[in-house]
Amino acid sequence: MELLYATLQSGLASLASYLAAHVLLCLVPAFFVAGALSALLPQQSVIRFLGPDAPKWVAYPAAAGAGSLLAVCSCTVQPLFAGIYSKGAGLGPGITFLFFAPAANILALSYTGVALGADFAIARVVLSLCFGIGIGMIMALLFHRDDAARLANAEAFAGEEGINRRTVIFLIALIALLIGGTLKLDFLTTRLVTLDFTLPAAPAAQAVLDRLVPVNTIKGDEGLSLQGVMLITLLALIGATALHGLGKVDEGFNRLTKVTLGLIAATLVFAAIGMQVTGNGLRFSISGRALAVAALLALLVPLARRFDAWDIQQWLWETWRFVCQIFPLLIVGVFLVGVIRVFIRPEWIQAIAGSNTLLGNLSGVVFGIFMYFPTLVEVPIAKMFLSLGMHPGPLIAYLMADPELSLQSILITSAIIGKLKAWTYVGFVALFSTASGLAYGACVDGEPIVMIALAITAFVGILIGAMYYVGRRQAPAAA
Amino acid sequence: MDIKILGTGCPKCQRLEQLTREVATEIGVDAQFEHVRDIAKIMEYSVLSTPALVIEGEVKVAGRMPTKEEIGHWLGKLG
Repeated sequence: MELLYATLQSGLASLASYLAAHVLLCLVPAFFVAGALSALLPQQSVIRFLGPDAPKWVAYPAAAGAGSLLAVCSCTVQPLFAGIYSKGAGLGPGITFLFFAPAANILALSYTGVALGADFAIARVVLSLCFGIGIGMIMALLFHRDDAARLANAEAFAGEEGINRRTVIFLIALIALLIGGTLKLDFLTTRLVTLDFTLPAAPAAQAVLDRLVPVNTIKGDEGLSLQGVMLITLLALIGATALHGLGKVDEGFNRLTKVTLGLIAATLVFAAIGMQVTGNGLRFSISGRALAVAALLALLVPLARRFDAWDIQQWLWETWRFVCQIFPLLIVGVFLVGVIRVFIRPEWIQAIAGSNTLLGNLSGVVFGIFMYFPTLVEVPIAKMFLSLGMHPGPLIAYLMADPELSLQSILITSAIIGKLKAWTYVGFVALFSTASGLAYGACVDGEPIVMIALAITAFVGILIGAMYYVGRRQAPAAA
Repeated sequence: MDIKILGTGCPKCQRLEQLTREVATEIGVDAQFEHVRDIAKIMEYSVLSTPALVIEGEVKVAGRMPTKEEIGHWLGKLG
């Protein structure tokens, strides 16, 4: 009975502190960015760089770009991959896209950055980019005969649509909001004004919360602040109004749309304002962050008005679709992580992956392959491992392998490119995930970063050289 | 009129089908709808991204959501 209580409490505590501390400032704007990318950015504008005639030095970066800009959910990944592979730039860029998309889309990145720290997010992007392009090139080299035959009878596809300026400006403002709300920069966090209010009920309420969700720095439990509770309440309110306000926005703006958007803006600003419980009341501290968030929100209104109503409706609708698709899974996932955590002994994790060894990195990868977690749930799981004492190296190995490799993605991939290629791909991902874990771990352990950067650069350089060589040898045959 | 919606079952694709059906009913076009979900068949249209709308064998739009006016224009011109 006591165990059951402890488990449930751990689950709820993990959920509460996630909702209160992390999800808000990063995921709310991130969902809006994802919605805008999906609704306002014509896919053709990126994809046209991926046609069969695209030069390699354009195709590989474009594939990575398509991965991070267009693909937030697997329903876009699958057709895009099939398209790039069979009608477009071919196997190599297709694989780059497939590798890069789940690790480096806007939602995954912002969530990793906030939950685990900016250094993990940066490591995730840089390593995914290097190895995504690397694996793509190796696959293209290995199977270049098939590829040449297959591309010979592929017809070109045209894409005329470009990206217009108002979309770019709007996206930049949204991303600035996302970054301004999350980054821990000095000029954003410096307090400008503090306001004190007397409210005797506040310390009492905080005391109750501390008893319900205890702070435990050893286990990494963060507890729940009074502000956190208010934020969760606001989130619930947003959810209730958004059901109609955003869910039905494609049939036209309704009254609840404005209420929902107003609530979201208010929540973001409130979350950016620091609120502390003092001895006999509340202290609000207004920092540069709160002002920046408020200013950017105000700026978004005139920017959004420049679009047709239809575009804005699509944007809000897409945003809400992403929330519906990802948020429930994330909540269940975070809750379960909290539950599981009760049963895992830190000693186990430390014994297997507590230091940056080959075995530790391999076990991170194997765990990533055999466990399938829905989009973004890998992040709270990684956070649990980190707080249980996993070394950052194996953690990166796990983060690299988990979203790219799951039974589901292996099956989809092999349906499109065949079993042999799919399993070769799986092997390379496992290999490179282990390698990137070792590299990142070495970096954390104090190896000079220059050496690691040199090693990665040399590796990619060799690949590009090999690509070029094969390309040269193929060229006369094709002509 | 032969109308095909290419999509892998994502919400956007469902929405496109719904929207096209609405427009077809509004302007009174007699149309057969088919929702193509098989990725191999979708690729036959040289479409790189879904959702896509194919009217009388011609790809009208791919990778984004058309407005009702656009759909009406395509349907009206043929119907």
